[in-house]
Amino acid sequence: MAVLTVSRRLLLQGTAALAGLAALGLRAHAAGGGRLVVAADSEPKNLNPAIVASNGVFFVASKVIEPLAEASYTGENGLAPRLALSWEGSSDGLSVTFHLRPGVTWHDGKPFTSADVAFSALQVWKPLQNLGRTIFADLTAVDTPDPLTAVFRFSQPTPIQLIRNALPAVTAVLPRHLYEGTDIATNPANVQLVGTGPYKFAEYKPGQYYRLTRNDAYWDTGKPALEEIVFRVLPDRAGAGAALEADEIQLAAFSAVPLADLARIAKVPGIKVIPEGYEGLTYQLVVEINHRRKELADLKVRQAIAHAIDRTYVVDTIFLGYATASTGPVPKNASEFYTADVETYPFDVARANALLDEAGYARGANGVRFSLKLLPAPYFNETRQFGDYLKQALAAIGIDAQLVNNDAAAHIKAVYTDHAFDLAVAPPVFRGDPAISTTILVKSGLPAGVPFSNQGGFVSAEIDAVIAQAARTVDTGARTQLYKTFQKLVAADLPLINVAEWGFITVARDTVENVASNPRWAVSNWSDTALKG
Amino acid sequence: MAFLRRYLRSGAGMAGLLIIATIALGAIAAPWLAPRDPLAIAGPALLPPFTDARLPLGTDRLGRDMLAGLIHGARASLAVGLAAMVAALAIGSVVGTVAGFAGGLVDEALMRVTDAFQVVPRFLLALAFVSTLGPSIGTVVIAIALGAWTEPARLVRAQVLSLRERDFVAAARVIGMHPAEIAFREILPNALTPALAIAALIVAAAVLIEAALSFLGLGDPNIVTWGTMIAEGRNLLRTAPALSLLPGLALVITVLGIYLVSEGIGDALERRGRTTP
Repeated sequence: MAVLTVSRRLLLQGTAALAGLAALGLRAHAAGGGRLVVAADSEPKNLNPAIVASNGVFFVASKVIEPLAEASYTGENGLAPRLALSWEGSSDGLSVTFHLRPGVTWHDGKPFTSADVAFSALQVWKPLQNLGRTIFADLTAVDTPDPLTAVFRFSQPTPIQLIRNALPAVTAVLPRHLYEGTDIATNPANVQLVGTGPYKFAEYKPGQYYRLTRNDAYWDTGKPALEEIVFRVLPDRAGAGAALEADEIQLAAFSAVPLADLARIAKVPGIKVIPEGYEGLTYQLVVEINHRRKELADLKVRQAIAHAIDRTYVVDTIFLGYATASTGPVPKNASEFYTADVETYPFDVARANALLDEAGYARGANGVRFSLKLLPAPYFNETRQFGDYLKQALAAIGIDAQLVNNDAAAHIKAVYTDHAFDLAVAPPVFRGDPAISTTILVKSGLPAGVPFSNQGGFVSAEIDAVIAQAARTVDTGARTQLYKTFQKLVAADLPLINVAEWGFITVARDTVENVASNPRWAVSNWSDTALKG
Repeated sequence: MAFLRRYLRSGAGMAGLLIIATIALGAIAAPWLAPRDPLAIAGPALLPPFTDARLPLGTDRLGRDMLAGLIHGARASLAVGLAAMVAALAIGSVVGTVAGFAGGLVDEALMRVTDAFQVVPRFLLALAFVSTLGPSIGTVVIAIALGAWTEPARLVRAQVLSLRERDFVAAARVIGMHPAEIAFREILPNALTPALAIAALIVAAAVLIEAALSFLGLGDPNIVTWGTMIAEGRNLLRTAPALSLLPGLALVITVLGIYLVSEGIGDALERRGRTTP
């Protein structure tokens, strides 16, 4: 009975998708045969990972276009070589030398050389890429003394620690021969990808699937194990679980199966739930604060809000245990930087109420001290649910929060351009180094309209100074120490409130092998992923 | 009174009235039946129905009381439905009366505008309106009324066209009444009856559109609505089906009740047609 409803439902929802797969000769039970069918919940139109460094793009593109290095559980400095074999920074921080992998060819047969790296760095990562713009801001030239050596020259000291931590996400190398002299942003190769990776881009049917096929000439001889990967577009979250149970797909990453469904699906024979493999992509649940509001500019009020949030409830009920309570702006699993030695705000409603009384915001006749506008980011179920919870948590301390729901575009405009919020719930990503996408949430002086940055009008000369100093500190130990100071200052001053941090969950058939083999597994190249039987 | 007596003779009408009266009573008495904020966290999350006497219908994903949600949700649904109906009837009858009474170019212009609104699917219109102006209970009401006023407008206009040739209108003209006074004080009250018959249908459609908008996340997030409850329960359809089934059932019963009432009104009007020719 259950099986019947499942297939009916899918048939009704995705007739087009199914028809497309039927054309591929895909039977309902597609296990084995070397074709892995994966649920894709978004459908990026520009698939170029060198321009759009985002997980939605990496999910598909990372199998085709490779970075210089990938994150690793065991490698030195948490890295495993990909297109670069080794890298070293000069002691003055003005240059970084990459020794590239020999014998690598592009999918169209042309050889991969240092000229491709130089072109990607100067023409794409630095001017066009969302993250590269900051990291490579001071990159002035890339010398190519021979085809296998690339020397990055910086005008200002740039810490090797930052470059190292950024390698997996920002250094996808593009083929120079296809991009040079063209309009990079509109190049057809942004969709019909050409890379050096273990899989070649075969076809994209909008609304249906992306199909990748094995690259027989891959540099890592004997890999990949699979013949094909099909990313089937399945935007409906309830649909991914059902499709897994019916064995129509074998893997759903990025929590495509809702958290609330995991306990049930884990009991289905043949299906496993894998919470590992996302350590390098930690999301943080953050309350953004508009310091232009007189009440919120008062530290006591911010402390009161931090004390009003029950992190245990957030972790256990909203995230069903698949999260960790936060202490500050760096997540616990970033062990290189994390420090627990910061101010903490245990759940204490009485204390929160006392702080608000002290701050001079007494309860009115209706029990309300003041009203706020609360904008939960719409990207995740959990951010919305936390918004619902925060409204209640604030009601308990006499703050009346009015929820405002927007779609993604309207939310970004309201918070980051128009500043039309008092509190917002945001899910920023920690990308291996605080300088990549974390300090921007706190530092001042950014123009309005920069998404996922400090648009709350918070200014602290002390914090700004630490951020600026760390950006120019080449010595790894000293730089790490500065970021520990940064965490202390942020936890004490509360420019924003860090509530919890979480990774995604993969659900797969147990025939899929080598899942979660590195800390960025879902967005890595899957060259060792295989299907049993 | 005679109308009420005829209405009460209709079986469907009686059943509908009973259903709606019960729901309306629940909605009106919500602050006493469930005095806490229905969005407050009342207990452990995902408590199944009928396991805790304090929370008879259990709790949702965040631990909010399902029964309180259903009762307060009835308020939102009925309030939006009635408000949208009143707004639609008001716009519709004014447009219909003016068009029918003035005739000529005014009539042409107003009816083409009506056509323009009628060709756009109602739900699409509401969706576009709410997503532009932002979700709040006021915009939802206006958004629904925007798509619903055209039918009453056409019905009223048709009535006015026949009424304006009657003797009592001619008499009013003769005694020198202002045309606007004739239109709105003499003609409109007589033209309204058929529009009232579809009023209940407008309420039913409004309740459904409101639920659909909330389901898509375009409802007012600060109040409980059945549509939001269904949307939130949808992800747990297989682990905790009650979360979406209960509000879904409430929605079905309400809309059914309203349809039965409209049936009753229709029956009553028809009987009048037979007994007093």
